[in-house]
Amino acid sequence: MPAMNEMQCDLLVIGSGMAGMAAAMFAGQHHIDTVQVGITGEINFASGLLDVLGVHPQDQGIPWEDPWAGIRQLIKDTPDHPYARLGVDQIQRAMDTCIAFLKSAGLHYTTRHNLNSHIITPAGTVKTTYAVPHSMAAGAQALASKTPTLLVDFHGLKGFSARQIIETAGRRWPGLKQLRLAFPGTRGELYTEHAARSLDLAANRKALADLIRPHLVGAKAVGLPAILGIYRTSEGVTDLEHQLGVPVFEIPTMVPAVTGLRLREAFEQRLPATGIRALYQQKVWDAMVLPNGEFRFSAGGLAPETTIKARGVILASGRFFGKGLRADRSRIREAIFDLPVVQPKKRALWHHKDLLQPSGHPINRAGLETDEHFRPVDEKGQVIHPRLHAVGSILAHQDWIRQKCGSGLSIATAFGAVDAYAQLSRQ
Amino acid sequence: MFLTYCVYLSLAVCLAGVLWRMGRWFTLSIGPEAPSAPPRARIAACLHATSSILTRPVIAAIVKAWVVDVLIQRQIARKSVVRWVMHMTLFYGFVSLILLHALDDLTLARWDPDYAATANPYMLLRNLMGLFVLTGIIIALVRRHTLVLLKRFNTRADKVAIALCAAILLSGVGLEAVQISSAPLFDEMVQDYFGGDDPEEITSLKAYWAAYYEVVFPQPPVINAQSLETGQTVHEDNCAACHSPPTYAIAAYPVVKIIKPLAPAMGRIRLDIGLWYIHVLASCIALAYLPFGKLFHLISVPVSLAARAVGDTRGNAPLNRHTRRAIGLDACTHCGVCALHCSVAPLMAVIDNPDILPSEKIGDLSLWYTGRLERNRQWRLARGGNICTACGRCTDVCPAGIDLQDLWQASQTDLIDSGYFSPHGWIRTNDMVAWSKSAKTATTAADSGMHLVDNPDTFWACVQCTICTNVCPVVATSEDPRRDLDLTPQQVMNLVRLQLKDMALGCRMVWDCVTCYRCQEECPQKVPVADVLYELRNEACRRLHVVKGPTSKLSPSDLQER
Repeated sequence: MPAMNEMQCDLLVIGSGMAGMAAAMFAGQHHIDTVQVGITGEINFASGLLDVLGVHPQDQGIPWEDPWAGIRQLIKDTPDHPYARLGVDQIQRAMDTCIAFLKSAGLHYTTRHNLNSHIITPAGTVKTTYAVPHSMAAGAQALASKTPTLLVDFHGLKGFSARQIIETAGRRWPGLKQLRLAFPGTRGELYTEHAARSLDLAANRKALADLIRPHLVGAKAVGLPAILGIYRTSEGVTDLEHQLGVPVFEIPTMVPAVTGLRLREAFEQRLPATGIRALYQQKVWDAMVLPNGEFRFSAGGLAPETTIKARGVILASGRFFGKGLRADRSRIREAIFDLPVVQPKKRALWHHKDLLQPSGHPINRAGLETDEHFRPVDEKGQVIHPRLHAVGSILAHQDWIRQKCGSGLSIATAFGAVDAYAQLSRQ
Repeated sequence: MFLTYCVYLSLAVCLAGVLWRMGRWFTLSIGPEAPSAPPRARIAACLHATSSILTRPVIAAIVKAWVVDVLIQRQIARKSVVRWVMHMTLFYGFVSLILLHALDDLTLARWDPDYAATANPYMLLRNLMGLFVLTGIIIALVRRHTLVLLKRFNTRADKVAIALCAAILLSGVGLEAVQISSAPLFDEMVQDYFGGDDPEEITSLKAYWAAYYEVVFPQPPVINAQSLETGQTVHEDNCAACHSPPTYAIAAYPVVKIIKPLAPAMGRIRLDIGLWYIHVLASCIALAYLPFGKLFHLISVPVSLAARAVGDTRGNAPLNRHTRRAIGLDACTHCGVCALHCSVAPLMAVIDNPDILPSEKIGDLSLWYTGRLERNRQWRLARGGNICTACGRCTDVCPAGIDLQDLWQASQTDLIDSGYFSPHGWIRTNDMVAWSKSAKTATTAADSGMHLVDNPDTFWACVQCTICTNVCPVVATSEDPRRDLDLTPQQVMNLVRLQLKDMALGCRMVWDCVTCYRCQEECPQKVPVADVLYELRNEACRRLHVVKGPTSKLSPSDLQER
């Protein structure tokens, strides 16, 4: 067996999705000696929008204009929701901190003075969200004021059709026009990452602007799929606006989207600079608790490569797609520590008969039960390990997809858990 | 008399051989350009190019190349000091020995009226040069038997060249040692050069030579102060002008010390005469062999370096490219530097095909173009050539200035034209439709070994999210993936998952994958995308060889990849 690298740290963050990234970020701000390990997962599938709370109660599908009022109602109605462990002030602070951090990494977000914004989706529906990437802000504005807008799509780009958007949204938003272009320099299928990398270059943006300009006639804004660069998106949007003379905005695309890639790149580039020792593209192979109460892990890519000793752990390994939860024929297990998972009694109860049931399925609310410090507890409510915390979508009693609270849940619980870890350590 | 004939005969063979070998430069057709031009046209084109160079400033570059890369061997010095020492000692040692020793009648004897081979400084110089050559031979032997890549591929030409050098040198040193200690030779010399016939003086001279010149007499003379004193006078009067003390024979003297006890026996059988024959005959053989082995590089390398100084082969007129390549084949000394720098050499560990290495490939190409390569070796050559990535490092490091990269490309075309087909070439000019018509259902013995493709666990987690395609640099550089690649990575994964691997094998995405592994790293479900593509390509390659390969030229064992 080859010799293993050795690492020692105060805190190990397991996961590199939204929750893991946020936990590492907060740990860095607390000056905690932190190692982060995680494979590429759900963050590649992010829309780039930061939701806090969009819908509650979900079975009635009621959208909230003021997410904070919505959260207060949610906490009242479902006191076991992870948000209930935090309260509105903490969630607000968490979101503000995260948005400021992303700004320092070059990703600018716009919020509407603590109100939710609304943007158009590639399906033509309207989505309620909290923070909107700078590149999409003009879209929220255009939707709100029903600006006559030219929507552009491309030959070969799957899952994004200007005509479909108009078909669905046209009644609510008259004055929409559509334009289909061949993406400069390509024919056939078009993939978002390739297009975005291409549009990071000024020459390609100019070619695109030249194709759009003759079709502007009367349009006061231009909407494009979210492919305006990966590293210099703001610069690209400004450049296009300058060339076209009207506001330009992005509309989220189908996953995997470059909006997720931008988030991932921002965190991956910036976190190591704040002192985080990151082992990206690596996963935890096994975990154990030593007699002195510390943790020992082995991590690596294709095989275990590094032994990590840590005083505490923040588990942000996600749900099924992120590999934090694993379902077998009879039950759902937590993948790393085999922690107790709150779940329906038997498999037959995991799902309703109606796939599209608005209230969601019981399995959607399965997950880890924690105490007020986000430490997983067993069936009797006993903390399993005093320095083991869990954050993000792996937590029980939430349905982030239907509640439209994914980013907020990840960021706020990470904030709460790191804060708790720091305070408990000080005691 | 016999030896004189031998010398002239070998000289004639050498000259004829050189002409024959240079003639081949104009008859071998290497590369796709104007394949059947008559030698006369080739010679005319070559002369035309040469004459036009003579009047251009580029002639300075040629002279510089000869000084820097032939006389100083800077290229070799940069790569390895040890090899430089080897080459310089061998080259300058032999050149001086040939000029000042073998041809001394034409050189030193004319310049210096008092010249004698046994007098200083000539004796010392000759021995010094001998030691130079010996150093070179020892380094060459050690190098050829210690460097991992080289020691596997010592050809007969390498061994013959070193053996001939060693035979000439060792017989020469041995000859001088035996001559020094030889009593019969002493007697002959006394008879030929000693003026008087006083037996007492001869006895004294014998005593002096036994004491100071290492001659071993069958009946040892009485050595005392008086005989030595007389002997010295006689010596100074008759011998000293032509004979320096043997200690100056720094190469032969240690040998004298060793063979001294055997000297009387050697004198009886006149070993000195035997060694003289061996020494001269070995030199004759080397001379006659010069055009036929790697020693020919004495002529071909300066020509090749001159051509290189002018420019790349592509810059030559089409007819001259053939000539240039033929010179290149002849200029290879099999020194192995290219193999040591070859970027695909590590593949030798997996695919045991010596023709992956440029140093071996050029040798086999030389055999192939002259119709001397065995059939199964031809197939090996074609396959080894396919593996080259045209990185150009071999051309950069070749001390003989051979435009190797051009040679590989030209010969690859020739091999394909003569039926040695290249799977990559085939797949680039065809697509999945052509594949499904020919190679789709061909199976090979190794087919069952696709442990990733045939295992459902490899794909079960794939959600067709297209991340692999999104990050793929091959797809990114394609203007139209469907036209250029048939399918994108995630589509290939889907085909294989549907157990349609026979179809996936012919997809150009499989063949154009650069194995950068980004797909595999980024896959959220950890599907080993790149490994699957690699496995598919290997199997497709095997099948194409079965269906499209020149099966008539194959033996069943050739079909086994390893």
